[in-house]
Amino acid sequence: MKRYHDIVGDGGSGVLEQVAEQRTRITDGLAGVRHLVAVGSGKGGVGKSTLTLHLAGALRARGLRVAILDADFNGPSQARMAGVQGAVFVPGDHKVALPRTRNGIGVFSMGSMIPESEALEFESTADGESHTWRATKEFALLGEILASFEWGALDLLMFDLPPGAERTVQYADFLGPRTSFLLVTIPSEVARGVVARSVAALSKGPNRLLGYVENMSGYYCRDCNAIKPLFVSPETTNLEIPCLGTVPFDPELARLCDRGIDLAELRETPVGRALEHVAQQLLDSLESTTSASAHAAQELRPDRPASAHGSSELRPDRPGSAHASREVRAGREHPR
Amino acid sequence: MKFLCIPCDSPMKLQAVGPPEGGSLSVVYSCPECGYEMAMLTNAYETQIVQSLGVRIGPDIGAGASSTGSTSAAEPTKCPFSAMLPPATPKPLGEGGETEGARPGQAGEPIPVRWTAAAEARLANVPEFVRPMARTGIERFARERGALEVDEKILDAAREFFGM
Repeated sequence: MKRYHDIVGDGGSGVLEQVAEQRTRITDGLAGVRHLVAVGSGKGGVGKSTLTLHLAGALRARGLRVAILDADFNGPSQARMAGVQGAVFVPGDHKVALPRTRNGIGVFSMGSMIPESEALEFESTADGESHTWRATKEFALLGEILASFEWGALDLLMFDLPPGAERTVQYADFLGPRTSFLLVTIPSEVARGVVARSVAALSKGPNRLLGYVENMSGYYCRDCNAIKPLFVSPETTNLEIPCLGTVPFDPELARLCDRGIDLAELRETPVGRALEHVAQQLLDSLESTTSASAHAAQELRPDRPASAHGSSELRPDRPGSAHASREVRAGREHPR
Repeated sequence: MKFLCIPCDSPMKLQAVGPPEGGSLSVVYSCPECGYEMAMLTNAYETQIVQSLGVRIGPDIGAGASSTGSTSAAEPTKCPFSAMLPPATPKPLGEGGETEGARPGQAGEPIPVRWTAAAEARLANVPEFVRPMARTGIERFARERGALEVDEKILDAAREFFGM
């Protein structure tokens, strides 16, 4: 009697072929994106979304082409923070145009579609059983978004991930080995413990862990013009990945985020400088990854022209702009 | 999932997908050797799990296979699930744009806006879950400019206006 693998196809639907086609559409849609960076944590409430948006802003200010996909479908916040809550999705000749912030960052967020008073709901034939299918549905939705929107030529596409260590790994599986991860924690042992689980889980897969950012690393007191401690937990959990920087909490930053205002005016504050520092570290890390990959490819295939290496460098889309050549100052580290 | 006719040791071929009913699909297979037919009947949980994958169950009519049921007759390339299960759409922004024109301080129904065939074709590029919202937003954009028809020029203008 024939067994499963003796039979070609499934007799009509071609489900596996459809899944493969979905993956091809996603790959094709992202073909012009140089770096895929997922910003995750495992822990909720550590500032992943805020950091994602402001790192994107810092990178955009250097002339890089950046977009954000708010992958937190159930708790989207990028639409509000980026000021694209009222965006209209306009169809192009083949795909859907991506809403953009005033400074040119492309943003997809469910928050552009769903009022904050509403939750994302899916119709279902299996009421009360959403735990059996909901994650699958959300990833199918993510695939449809990746395949249907005009991502175009980007230096970075940043994914703002939802909380949950297991979700972080699921996104790594779905997005594939091209995607590098940046993790966010806060100086709390509880948070670091959860992030350590994400590090352990991600370390088992092929995705590159760029490092972590310690957010809310003290708070910036404008009256004192100083950074003061916010958490007093002793740091005993070693995350075993590079720290790309620390970012203090600034109530003014939170206020601007709620109102969807550009952070250019914060650029000269300790928070702005810290974000610039992290952005530089992120770029350095991505460059080293790219260079190492290109070098490895060169070693494996010595017949390949050396120019392939140079073509992978991040380049601003506004050559000669002031932003592109601006010197970056190191962020102010919170003294411990 | 594959089905095998044991007496013939032959893979069965999908023949038809019955109209979805009560969360269940009826998918008919037959053996190309002996003609024996059988039906796979899904329960609501099985239906939902497969639907969540975003795949089409049933023959691709565009490829020449046959199907039954009003679903596939009306929209030949779509999965029967599509008619049975509305796409993932935020309820307040569902098809029909019922929230459009019903804002506080405004009275009456919104003025109907036509879509040219070319504009509709472009709208088809929008994923189903976004389409109702995209339609509503573009129609509002058109009305605000005194246009009662959405054509490609309006779409291009909207694209420009929203900074895309």
